[in-house]
Amino acid sequence: MADRELTFEIFRYNPQKPEIKPYMQTYKLKETPGMTIFVALNQIREEQDPSLMFDFVCRAAICGSCAMIINGRPKLACKTLTNTLPSKIKLFPLPVFKLIGDLSVDTGTWFRHLSLKTEAWVHTSKTFDPKAQEERMDNETALRIYEAERCIECGCCIAGCATANIRDEFLGAAGINRVARFMIDPRDERTPAEYFEVVGCEEGAFGCMGLMACDDNCPMELPLQMQLAYVRRKMAAYGLGYKATQGVKLA
Amino acid sequence: MLQKTLTKSNKTDLYLDLVELTSGLLLAGFLWTHMLFVATILISQETFNRLSEFLDTYYLSYIGIPFVLVIALFHFVIAGRRIPTRIQEQKIVWQHAKMLRHTDTWTWVFQAITGMAILVLASIHVWMVVTGWPIRAMNSAERMESFWWFYLILLIVGEYHAGFGVYRQFVKWGWFPRKPIGYVTKVITAIMLALGLAAMVVLVQIGGAI
Repeated sequence: MADRELTFEIFRYNPQKPEIKPYMQTYKLKETPGMTIFVALNQIREEQDPSLMFDFVCRAAICGSCAMIINGRPKLACKTLTNTLPSKIKLFPLPVFKLIGDLSVDTGTWFRHLSLKTEAWVHTSKTFDPKAQEERMDNETALRIYEAERCIECGCCIAGCATANIRDEFLGAAGINRVARFMIDPRDERTPAEYFEVVGCEEGAFGCMGLMACDDNCPMELPLQMQLAYVRRKMAAYGLGYKATQGVKLA
Repeated sequence: MLQKTLTKSNKTDLYLDLVELTSGLLLAGFLWTHMLFVATILISQETFNRLSEFLDTYYLSYIGIPFVLVIALFHFVIAGRRIPTRIQEQKIVWQHAKMLRHTDTWTWVFQAITGMAILVLASIHVWMVVTGWPIRAMNSAERMESFWWFYLILLIVGEYHAGFGVYRQFVKWGWFPRKPIGYVTKVITAIMLALGLAAMVVLVQIGGAI
């Protein structure tokens, strides 16, 4: 594997310059020990092409900004070692999200919309008392919440999801996992009816077709299948038991 | 927005999902029972005929066949709502599957295709059986001898669709972990295919001997 010459084929397109149609550009690079896609991209940008656009912040799989399609699969550039890949490496930006240019996409707007739609904060009627002792929670619940909270919002699950690719409104695994997090949280006072309003539909739990590309491609290895199934079961159990309010009839 | 606001926040999507689940499980259950019934030909022609006569005497076939047809129709319409109908969506799904090289995404694409194939092939199958009533070893053997290639395709697409369909429902509802469910459904599918193929060989031989 040593001394390989890597050939990168990188998607190039700048929406600011629509007159230049999307194309693939080839770069060649000597592989170095421990090289990640993130390292390689930086080297290409420094030594060969300063116009190449891609995102990164933490280079340690925490910020989630360097997700891209690496040889067909959504992955984090900083967590993907080149020695796990063949010498020909194809890079595309994540689908679904708005393209900023080349490999850079705007996941922020999408995730902000998700946060607002799912109202991703603890809904409580209690006022916060800074002097009081923190409320206690059993360890198991805390760990379950933490497991869901490990999501870094990189967007790999959304990019890999066939449904999210064709239905703009679908919340995807990241969104449903987020809802699951609040459903488990005993501090959140939302009723099942309020949750049903958000995820008891095709845009939420019932839109998932079970292809599990989210589960198979999550860089943080979150238990997404079980999170999706948990919300689906909860919503079904609730939906079967509750009476819909009378609506307005058009005719 | 008026229409969207008024139709939202009800339980339609939940009900559709549950109908997809129950109709699918019923059909898979039917298909597997069907294959076991057909496989009685492996024991003897008499067993096959006796089972068929039993189903006739107690009107089970006369209730069962229309019932399964209705369920299948529901399943086609409701599970079929997942299939992208617009050309652009179709293109996206194909491109996506090719790019991702992800097993479960490809099995789903083929599930949609086999579903459509079953709609056509199973209709022909039911028509042939009903117009050639009753079901007896000799009638079946004749049919099988003339149209073995047709039944071979139907057997494969049917078992494929049922096996992966059951797997996917279990995945979606998360009653059991994914990997073991995958093994179990694959083993059942393999057994059903083996039984079906063996029954086909026997029936074609009987048909050839007439």
